[in-house]
Amino acid sequence: MDFKYIGKSLPRPDAISKVTGKAVYLDDIRLPGLLHAAILRPKHAHAKILNIDTGEAERMPGVVKVVTGKGCDLHYGDNIADLTPMAVNKVRYAGEPVAAVIAETLMQANAAVEKIKVEYEELPFYLDAREAMKDDAVLIHEHSEEYWRLPTLKYIPNTNIANYYRLIKGKGEEGFAEAEVVVEGEFNYPFGSSAAIEPHGSIVWFKEDNSIECWSSSICPFIIRQDLAHNYDLPVSDVRVHIPEIGGCFGYKSDITVEQTIAWIASFVPGHPVKWAATRKEDFTSTLTAHGIRTYMKLGAKRNGKLVAIKAKILHSGGAYSDTAVNVTIGATHNSSGPYEYEHCYLEGYTVYTNTTPIGAYRGYGHQESQFATERLMDMLARKLNMDPFQLREMNYLGPGSVNALGECMWKTNGDVHAAAKAVQNAVFSTEKNKEDDKYYYGRGFAALMKSPKGAPFSTKGCYMKMNIDGSVSVNMGGAEVGQGLRTVVKQVAAEALQIPPEKIRVYSEIDTQFSPYEWQTIGSMFTIQGGRAIIRASDKLIAILKKTAAQVLKTDEDYLEYNGEYVYLRNDPSIKVAVKDICRGYITSDGITIGEVAQATADARLPRYSNPDSETGQGSMGVDYTFGAQGAEIRIEKATGKIIVDHFASSFDMGRVINPKQLRSNVLGGVLMAVGATLSEELRYDENGHQGNPHFFKYRIPTLKDIPAKSTTVFIENPGAVGPFGARGIGEHPVIGVAPSILNAIHDAIGVDYYEIPVTSEEIKKALVDRKENA
Amino acid sequence: MAEKYTIKVNGIERTVEAETDTLLIDVLREKLDLTGTKRGCDNSTCGSCVVILNGKAVKSCQKKIAQVDGGEVITVEGLSRGKELHPVQKALVEAGAIQCGFCTPGIATELAALFEENPDADEETIMRALNKHLCRCTGYEDIKNGALLAQKLMKDER
Repeated sequence: MDFKYIGKSLPRPDAISKVTGKAVYLDDIRLPGLLHAAILRPKHAHAKILNIDTGEAERMPGVVKVVTGKGCDLHYGDNIADLTPMAVNKVRYAGEPVAAVIAETLMQANAAVEKIKVEYEELPFYLDAREAMKDDAVLIHEHSEEYWRLPTLKYIPNTNIANYYRLIKGKGEEGFAEAEVVVEGEFNYPFGSSAAIEPHGSIVWFKEDNSIECWSSSICPFIIRQDLAHNYDLPVSDVRVHIPEIGGCFGYKSDITVEQTIAWIASFVPGHPVKWAATRKEDFTSTLTAHGIRTYMKLGAKRNGKLVAIKAKILHSGGAYSDTAVNVTIGATHNSSGPYEYEHCYLEGYTVYTNTTPIGAYRGYGHQESQFATERLMDMLARKLNMDPFQLREMNYLGPGSVNALGECMWKTNGDVHAAAKAVQNAVFSTEKNKEDDKYYYGRGFAALMKSPKGAPFSTKGCYMKMNIDGSVSVNMGGAEVGQGLRTVVKQVAAEALQIPPEKIRVYSEIDTQFSPYEWQTIGSMFTIQGGRAIIRASDKLIAILKKTAAQVLKTDEDYLEYNGEYVYLRNDPSIKVAVKDICRGYITSDGITIGEVAQATADARLPRYSNPDSETGQGSMGVDYTFGAQGAEIRIEKATGKIIVDHFASSFDMGRVINPKQLRSNVLGGVLMAVGATLSEELRYDENGHQGNPHFFKYRIPTLKDIPAKSTTVFIENPGAVGPFGARGIGEHPVIGVAPSILNAIHDAIGVDYYEIPVTSEEIKKALVDRKENA
Repeated sequence: MAEKYTIKVNGIERTVEAETDTLLIDVLREKLDLTGTKRGCDNSTCGSCVVILNGKAVKSCQKKIAQVDGGEVITVEGLSRGKELHPVQKALVEAGAIQCGFCTPGIATELAALFEENPDADEETIMRALNKHLCRCTGYEDIKNGALLAQKLMKDER
């Protein structure tokens, strides 16, 4: 297929507004009568609230209102309604909102919030699922049976287990009877943060006409709209949610996070918009955090290397509220089998309440956490079998005709993991490995990977497009641009589908639920696939309208017409034609009578045949569209310091169709570096009082320019998919998945030490080197 | 105690009334509505709020208004002239160095100050300047390329 605009590195439509500082983010919004909120956080990670004294705070200058959770009976959550906007009677984690001050200025609000006095009665607290699951553990939610939850979810009464998910394929655990060799291990992907450079924030305005207006740094305006309407008993149409420019997301600005809290606070001052923007500390402690996933995994194989069975138990320390963690656990569980086929699977996922900041989405959504275990174990299995690890993987990759853990059959249109693996092997392993020298050990590591979208049955994306009088087109959608370059993709897909130059296509710049087409939320690396499909569907409708009008003008049948973006013309004689700009508002005949419809169209697209899991087996069509890839690392370990230097990192994905090569590479490099951060330095730690110990960038160290690999290779393979536009697949999350196992496999290659937990810091390596010397 | 301070911002003299310890970032954002200067952290680690003060790139969250009285500040809004982008801005766009855009204003002002003062800055100097800035999106390769291109464009303009 020849493309005019697909496969070209077009510039971003939003680059100039961003580089000139004119792009408006949440905290840049100014509104008439705007008030500011500051929020009080508890002293303890788990405690009863005995009394809140707001008297002194109320008397502070500029204070309009002091708000607590007293009397609040609002519960919300889209999977488990275990959340409340503000703590009521007890606090369950140290970042929870306990009270808030609304004042004329932020400085006044901050000064007053310190004057609120709270008496607590401390309760035992648990920072890890293993502690919270003990028989004698105190319940974090005493009445979890009363919470509404999705019918597919299962809690275990009188425990801190918020949900239990189990997948069985074939004979399940009994399948290990067929195994001749077994490897197993316990792996940990600790707490982290998406840590976008723009912190979270929201503005909520309860208006005198009984409607609500909200602005949020969020990727799910329609969920916010629905949930606020539900809590405040309004028709959904009376809630209007705006999404300004978003300064990065990476997961944690999905679902509903801070908006309900700000709404609760703002509900006390109707008529005034109330703004709250998180400090960096609050962004760590009081929005959504990531990971906290411990994976126990066992693989069984024949002596020839053929995999037969996998068992995994995912223990997810899901935080004090599990609404947003539960699907991460489920994703981590059914995707733990990675890019391989097993006849027998027994996969269990426990989402456990802990007294830590709630876990939510983070780029990768469970995949990197559990496939970290899979890919470390594949290397260990290769060693045990004395086999080449590439050959071992080759024998077991999913491909056309094979069936994954969920029971979904793979087709050629799902892409080619072999090709991706070969590309990485060529890039990283085709030369002789560097030999140990005075200063460094050298190592190389590999990981293959699989990503599914992790959607929902109703996860649709809408598109509205209108053709203007001059033949230019305006495209409006509900997808959130978080930096990933979604607007560029919209422009290129629409240009290709409509055969119109991109300069004549204007892509929407903000989302407003009052005008924007419905979209579930912009998650799961699904925008290109579903949004692109919606664009193609809308384009087809729009072209059909043009042809219908042209058929009347040219006195022929619609199906005898062709369209090329500029003209509609007779198939056999292009000289008999009518210009698109003459029919896009209908065609004005010589006597002024106008015929035909305006050229505008709406369409939407979801993942075709996405289903709920079967209640017995946990299987189902929950992936639908898969992407396969591989990654590899070449590292150096400095002998004197234990420092790990990533010299070269290679990634290859079967993208189906590359829409914008430059943007694609940038996305992959960004994802890889984020995961290098998780592998070598990032970890959110809690102290002995249950508070986060490092909620600042100088303590939670995300990578800087000096941490980038000296060389980065990206190779994209194009076996077109069956769902996305022109065969394209998503890429947003994929680059983070194979990074930790690649680097840890490389560490083993360099110094012969197996690590089961990240981050692997230079101190740990140094210690291992010393131990090794002593043992030698 | 609120006092009056005068600073030249993007070429225009502005007088503001502020407490002596009000931070420059807050004067720019809250008093002058120059919201291009971003706040990404609580303790001067992210670089998003960098502006040019008397020719040098500084973190505007590290300067109190009293310290900069009488000074000259250029924010990201002051780099372009109408629709004509500053060469640094052109280079960052051209290199694809912009994703979410939140770190971009700080990086643009940092590079503009650096190349204005030291057009021949070597790669190490450039990397040291950029290393003050956190970006969570790009993996920095495009930012680095954008910086090198900016240096070339600024030289070409001379």
